[in-house]
Amino acid sequence: MASRPTVTILSADGSASGATHPLPKVFLSPIRPDIVQTVHTGMAKNKRQPYAVSEKAGHQTSAESWGTGRAVARIPRVSGGGTHRAGQAAFGNMCRSGRMFAPTKVWRKWHQKINLGQKRYATVSALAASSVPALLLARGHQISTVPEVPLVINSSVFEGAAIAKTSGALALLKSVGASADVDKVKKSRKLRAGKGKLRGRRHRQRRGPLVVYDPEVDGKELARAFRNIAGVETSSVFALNLLQLAPGGHLGRFIIWTSAAFKALDLIYGSTTIPSELKKDFLLPSPSVTQADVGRLINSSELQAVIRAAIGQSRTKRAGVQKKNPLQNKQVLLRLNPYAAGYSKEKIGTKGLDAGKPERAAKTPFAKVLKED
Amino acid sequence: MVSAKKHVPIVKKRQKRFHRHQSDTYKCLDASWRKPKGIDNRVRRRFKGQMVMPSIGFGSNKKTRHMMPSGHKAFLVNNTRDVDLLLMHNKTFAAEISHAVSSRKRIEIVARAKELGVKVTNPKARVTVEV
Amino acid sequence: MTHHSSQVSADLIWEIARNQNSYLVKRASSGGVRFSRDPLNLTNVHSRKYAGFVNDKAVGISPAEGDKGGVTLITKKTKHPQRPGSSVNKVTFGGSKTTRKTYKGIVSSTAKSGYRSDLRAEAVARASAIRLSQTPKKDAPEKKLRGSKAKKAAAEKDE
Repeated sequence: MASRPTVTILSADGSASGATHPLPKVFLSPIRPDIVQTVHTGMAKNKRQPYAVSEKAGHQTSAESWGTGRAVARIPRVSGGGTHRAGQAAFGNMCRSGRMFAPTKVWRKWHQKINLGQKRYATVSALAASSVPALLLARGHQISTVPEVPLVINSSVFEGAAIAKTSGALALLKSVGASADVDKVKKSRKLRAGKGKLRGRRHRQRRGPLVVYDPEVDGKELARAFRNIAGVETSSVFALNLLQLAPGGHLGRFIIWTSAAFKALDLIYGSTTIPSELKKDFLLPSPSVTQADVGRLINSSELQAVIRAAIGQSRTKRAGVQKKNPLQNKQVLLRLNPYAAGYSKEKIGTKGLDAGKPERAAKTPFAKVLKED
Repeated sequence: MVSAKKHVPIVKKRQKRFHRHQSDTYKCLDASWRKPKGIDNRVRRRFKGQMVMPSIGFGSNKKTRHMMPSGHKAFLVNNTRDVDLLLMHNKTFAAEISHAVSSRKRIEIVARAKELGVKVTNPKARVTVEV
Repeated sequence: MTHHSSQVSADLIWEIARNQNSYLVKRASSGGVRFSRDPLNLTNVHSRKYAGFVNDKAVGISPAEGDKGGVTLITKKTKHPQRPGSSVNKVTFGGSKTTRKTYKGIVSSTAKSGYRSDLRAEAVARASAIRLSQTPKKDAPEKKLRGSKAKKAAAEKDE
């Protein structure tokens, strides 16, 4: 790729503003779903709060085992008399009002440490994936009306808190062709199955576009404008979060950039040779292959020049053809054994060995030599 | 409705169910198959006259596996969008309407299936009216 | 032109999306059958060959909009993969056109012009299936009664 690809910057009505920006180097970094998935599973655990059953649960009785010889199981039994409870089994996880198996503890390992390098790699990878329309479609985003991916809106649209109201934000989303994705989220809102309803997770819904802005240039008012639109999230470009960039560990979030945020990406992430200005000791990961298209690699003139010709002639494998028995079918036999033609022509099979009687040992030249001395 | 593609005859090597050992003796023991694990178990040791155990040898021909007698395979559908998936497969797959679908939607599904020539295995469930 | 990044290829996208994507429909029955809802998938089978959202070139055929019948041929443009808003060509073959002319039109604008010639048969088959589904359907013939029910019906008729 000789020239660096550029991305058009859209104006408020969704048309090209005329300005373009070269594609930040982050978008050329390798896409590694394996890293994104492991980092995501770790990060998703870091918001958990400890929970556990009561330490005393199931142990608030003075039960003792009756031992053997009473023709009952040796499980501890509640002592005393005068109540139904006496003599009932206790403590065990199989007992009524016993404790659970392996009671949960507050000191479970709730949070995961993830290496910084891996976290950065995952973020960068998720950003690169967000520029691939096929992956956006695979994630389920409705992008058939979006003029370009990555989608960049001119920061002048947001200037001076121009978009501080939800109506303005909705109109903007509509003009840049993102309303289909927002509608999808709105329609998808369903009541959650199970107990989660009681625990502050009443509804489930899809994720819509993520609006990434630069708080210094665009201001923070737009976050308030977008926050009541179902599924739309906002994030500062300086605090991108993998949980938003690849929800569920699935690559390809639909991201709407402001031009200021888009321009800041090169500053934040640097390139494979220029270190990042904001992240200490960070270079973008270098791709391990320069060309990921296997078909193009195989058909490239460099490879074709050095490979040997295929052995044998090309032949199509005939599927579904009955196998012929070479012992019964002459033509198939001849294909396998060219000698068979001469063999049957000369009738070698019926000739038999015409050797006559074996020569007497005493008349051989060898016997003469033997008797010489 | 399109009949299924021509196929090799469906051969079931065994039509009977496999019952759990001793499920005929104890009513608390369910008949669904559990492999006997005991050290002395005579079924496990395949003694003469004992129950047969399921094994891979009872499996069906790969070409007719999962096939219904009509020659179709069942595909569970919840809505008309699912039926549309079978547009190109009406000779190999038949739609089976999921049990929780309402009668109103069932009618839509059956109508769409008829348009596409897709067989529905349970078209009458919930929708038949009392005569 | 391919994607901005030489790191992205159809091979890679397929490896990322083959196990989980929004078009995939999995069922546990029939040995774990997998279908695809992708509009650019001609057979609805989830496979690399037919996965339209993955491949640079893809063909899709869907019923034409409106209730007049006919099919719409969708093909992917290869020039600007970064512009999803204008990434497909749509041609509609109306319901009044003969099916032969429809097939001919589909084949000449795809397989015959060097665009996914491997999908020729599937494209025609899908167009055919859609056209067939747009024809009016006969009602199923009434079931003949058998046994005692038949006798009862006959007796009722005689009265």
